[in-house]
Amino acid sequence: MTTPESTGKPTVKIQLNGSEVEADPSQPLIRACHDHGVDVPMYCYHPGLHPVGSCRICQVEVKQGEAPPRVVAACRTSVAPGMVVDTESPKAHETRRECLEFLLKNHPLDCPICDKAGECDLQDYAFQEGQGEGRSSEPRRKLHKRRSLGDVIVLDEERCILCSRCVRFFEDVTGTAQLAVTGLGARSVIDTFMGRPLTGNYQGNVADICPVGALTLKRFRFQARVWNLTKTVSHCAECSRGCAITVEVLRRKQVKRFRPRFDPNVNQYWMCDTGRFAFDHVEIPACEPGELTGGRLTDAVQRGAHGVAGQGVAGSGVGARGLEAVDVDRALGRAADALTGAAARAIVLSPFVTQEEAGAALELARTLGAEVCFVSPPPNGLQDDLLHTGDPCPNRKGLETLGVPGLGADDVRARLAKAGVAVLVGERVQELIGLERLAALTGGVRLIVLDLVAHDLPGLEVALGVPCHVEKQGHWLNVDGLRRDLAIARSAPAGVEPLTRLLGQLAGAVGRPAGATAEVRR
Amino acid sequence: MAPKMPWPTYLLDRVGLPDSHKLEVYRQHGGYAALEDVLRKPWKPEEVTAVVKDSGLRGRGGAGFSTGLKWTFMPDPAKDGRRRYLAINADESEPGTCKDRVLMEKDPHGLLEGCLISAYAIRAEAVYIYVRGEYRKSLAVLQAAIDEARAAGLVGKGILGTSFDCEIWMHMGAGAYICGEETGLMESLEGKRGHPRPKPPFPAGYGLWGQPTTVNNVESIFNVPFIVQRGAEWFRSIGTKGSTGNFLCGISGHVERPGVYEVPMGISARQIVEELAGGVWKGRKLKAWFPGGSSTGMLPAAAIDTPMDHDSIKNAGSMLGTGAMIVIDETVSLVEAEYVIARFYEHESCGQCSQCREGTQWLDQILHRIARGHGRVDDPALLESLARGMAPAKTICALSDAAAIPTLALVKNFAAEVQEHATTGRLPAGCVSILAAQDLQEAHA
Repeated sequence: MTTPESTGKPTVKIQLNGSEVEADPSQPLIRACHDHGVDVPMYCYHPGLHPVGSCRICQVEVKQGEAPPRVVAACRTSVAPGMVVDTESPKAHETRRECLEFLLKNHPLDCPICDKAGECDLQDYAFQEGQGEGRSSEPRRKLHKRRSLGDVIVLDEERCILCSRCVRFFEDVTGTAQLAVTGLGARSVIDTFMGRPLTGNYQGNVADICPVGALTLKRFRFQARVWNLTKTVSHCAECSRGCAITVEVLRRKQVKRFRPRFDPNVNQYWMCDTGRFAFDHVEIPACEPGELTGGRLTDAVQRGAHGVAGQGVAGSGVGARGLEAVDVDRALGRAADALTGAAARAIVLSPFVTQEEAGAALELARTLGAEVCFVSPPPNGLQDDLLHTGDPCPNRKGLETLGVPGLGADDVRARLAKAGVAVLVGERVQELIGLERLAALTGGVRLIVLDLVAHDLPGLEVALGVPCHVEKQGHWLNVDGLRRDLAIARSAPAGVEPLTRLLGQLAGAVGRPAGATAEVRR
Repeated sequence: MAPKMPWPTYLLDRVGLPDSHKLEVYRQHGGYAALEDVLRKPWKPEEVTAVVKDSGLRGRGGAGFSTGLKWTFMPDPAKDGRRRYLAINADESEPGTCKDRVLMEKDPHGLLEGCLISAYAIRAEAVYIYVRGEYRKSLAVLQAAIDEARAAGLVGKGILGTSFDCEIWMHMGAGAYICGEETGLMESLEGKRGHPRPKPPFPAGYGLWGQPTTVNNVESIFNVPFIVQRGAEWFRSIGTKGSTGNFLCGISGHVERPGVYEVPMGISARQIVEELAGGVWKGRKLKAWFPGGSSTGMLPAAAIDTPMDHDSIKNAGSMLGTGAMIVIDETVSLVEAEYVIARFYEHESCGQCSQCREGTQWLDQILHRIARGHGRVDDPALLESLARGMAPAKTICALSDAAAIPTLALVKNFAAEVQEHATTGRLPAGCVSILAAQDLQEAHA
C-alpha cells in the first residue's frame, strides 16, 4: 500500500486565514487546511479515497492572482503557490450554511435513536453552525429505514446524504465495486448490484467512514451510545499485521468496538472484519456458578489433593472434577514445587505474548534450564492482498527476534510428551495447541497453564488466569518488524495478575531450595 | 421548404430540398467543398482554428463560449502525444430546444462535414456524436449518412485520398438531461452513469477516457464549413459585434406558427414572435417569454424588444442559451409554469451535489404548494433565498444554476403575481390552471 503522507515532499507557501503556511501542492487544499489545524467540514471527502467534490460542504474562499476571490470546494482545489485562502469569510460561511440546510432538508433528524449520534459529522457541524430551526415545511423523503446489505451492514436510506464514500471505498480500497448510487436526483439511494448482499472481509469499514448514521454495523446497532465508550489506542491481535485500532469499552466493562486508526505505514484507515469483530477472546463469560472451567479464569485452580481427573470427592471441598479454586500465591507455590521436582521441563508460549512477557518467560526458562518454543498455528486461510496476513500470530516476528522457535501443534505435543513438567504461557495457548492433543498426552507430563480459561485436562496441575490483550501493556512486532504497542483498555478481572509478574514470581520461587516455596512473597 | 427569410440565410438552405439527407443532394449543393479545400490546399490545422476563432462564432449549445478559443485549449500535439477526440453534443434536451434535430434529420452531411473539418483542426482521430435517446430518427439518418460518406471515402482512413484519417461514431443516450452537460456526456459515452465531473481538469486536458477532448454543439459545428469557405469576415458581417452569424431560433409555446427559424444574431425578439411566428396565438396578449430554453430566466412582455444576442439578453437579465424561445400568453399562471419547469429539474438532477439534489426538490415542492393554493406569505422570499443557495457556480455542473435561474427570474420579474398567488392561494385573474387541466386529463386517462 502507498501512503498518502506528505512528508518529505516539496511544499509551496500559501496564505491560510491570514498566516503564511507550507502546503503540499500534490494534495487538495482541504488537506493543507487540516494539516494546519484549520477545521473545514467534509462529508464526501475522505483522505483515503479519491475526491469527488459532490457534497459541497468544504467550500472556502480562495483568491488567486488578480482574479476576484471565489468560493470553491476545498477538496477539489489544488494547492497553488501564493493562493490566499480564507475559510471563515462571510461568503464561505454562508455557502456552507446553505449547503448544510439543503443536506438537512430531507434528513430524518432521528438522532435520539441513531447509533451515529455523538460522532456524526452532520450533527456536529449542524450544532456548530447553530441554525436551530429548519425553514422547510415540506414532507421529508420516506425511504427504507433498515435495509440489510449483507451480514455486516444495515442501511438507513433516509439518513444517507449520498456522499458516496462507501461506494468509493469498494472501488478504491477493495477494488470490488460492490455499492453504487442508483436512481436520479432526490430519489438516489445507495444500493448493491442487483440487491446482492455485500461480501468480503472489509465491509465494516463503510460504517466507520459513513459521515452520518446511514450505514451501521449490525453487531453495534443499539449496543451503546458512543459517548459512553472509553477509547484506548491499541493494536489488533487477529493477525501478524497488527493494524492500529482503538479499543472502545462500554462503562469500563464490555468491549463494544474495535475501530481502525490511521497508521500510514500499516493499515491506513482500514481494518478487516475478522479483527473488527474479534470479541470472542475479550468477552469470555465467567464460569457457571459452581464450575471452575469453561469460563474466564480469575485467580487460579489446581488439581485437588485427593482428586483425580473426572472424579470429584464428595464432601471434601474438592471440585466435582477434581479441581479446586485456590488463591494465586498457593497456586504459584504448587507450580514452583512441581517445576522444582521435575527432571525435564518445557515452556510453550502463546504467539499472543508480548515481548515483555516473552522476556519474563525466557528468564524463567533460564532459571529452570527449560526448552522454550511458541506454538505456531498454520495460516488460517484469511490472507488477502490488503491487510490480513493469514498468520494468526500477532507477535511471531517478535518471538522469532528473541530466538524463540515456532513449532506446529503436533511438534509441541511431541515435546510435551517427553517433558516431566510443562508451562503453557499466554492467552489462547491451550486452544492453539489443541485441547484434544493436550487431553491425549501420554507420559504423565504435569501442566502448569497460564491462560484465559482453565480446562479439565488430565495432566493439569495448576492453572492461573492471565489478562487478555486489551487488558495489558507491552508490545508486539508485526510481520514487518514494526513495534505495535498495547495499552490497557480495560482492567483485567479482579484476581488476575499481569503475566510478567506471574512469570517473575514463578522464576523467583523455583530459584529457592525445595520446601521453601510454599509461600511466595509478593 | 423553409420559408424565404428577409435576410441572407445559410444554415437551413438545404433543409427543404427533396432527399436533403442524401450525399448526392448535398454534393450538388456544394457539399464537402470546404473539406476538399481544407485537405487539398492543404490548410494547416491552426489556420482552421484561427479562422473559426476570428469569426467570433460562439457555441450554440447554451453557454455561448467562443468555439475557436475552446479549440485552442487542446494541448500542443508536439508536447502531448495522447489520442485526441471530438465529441459532438447532440443530446438536445433543454426544454423548448429543437434546432439540432432539424439539422441532423434534414442535413446530416452538413454536420458530418463540420465534424471532419473540426476534427482536422484539433487533430482528433475520432468524432463521437452523442445523440439524445429520444432522437431515434436523428440517429438513423445520421448513421445512414455516415455509411454513405464512408463508402465515398469521406470517413475513415485516407479521407479524399489525403493522409487525413478520421472516424465518426454514433452514440445514443438514454434520455437523461444531465448527459447534455459536457462532462456528464463524456461519462455516459464511457459507459458510466452520467454524473458530471468536477472541473478542472477540463475536457481539453482530461476528456474522454482521460484523453484531450473537445465537446461542441451540433449547430456550432454545422457553422464551421460555412466559415471556412466564406471566411471570418463574412461571418462577422452577420449579427452584432459580440454575437456573430445566424442562429437557429426554435420558438414554441403560445404562438401561431411555432417552429425553427434561421435568424441573424441581434434580431429583436418581437420580430421573431410577431413576424416569423405569427404573433401570440388566438389574439391574446404576451405575458412572459424565455429567450433560450427553460433554464434562462423568463422575461416580462415589456422586454420583447430586446435584441436576441448574447450581450443584450444578458443585460436584460437573462441568457440567450440555446436560442429556444418559449412564449407564454396572458392566461397562464407563471407560478404554475415555473412549477412545471422546477419539476423537470427535480427529475433531471443527477443527485451528486447537495444543493442541486435537495434544492431542486425543495423548489419543486414549494412551487407545487403555491400552485395548489397552499402558499404562504413568506414563500417567495424562501424561493429566492433557496435559489441563491443553489447558484451561481456552487456545484459541480450548471444544472443547479439552470434550476435556480428561472426561479430567481420569476420572483424578481413577476414579484407581485407570485406574492399574490402565494398569499391568496388563487390563480391571477384571467388565468386558466394548467394543473387543473392536467388533473382532468389524468382522471380521464
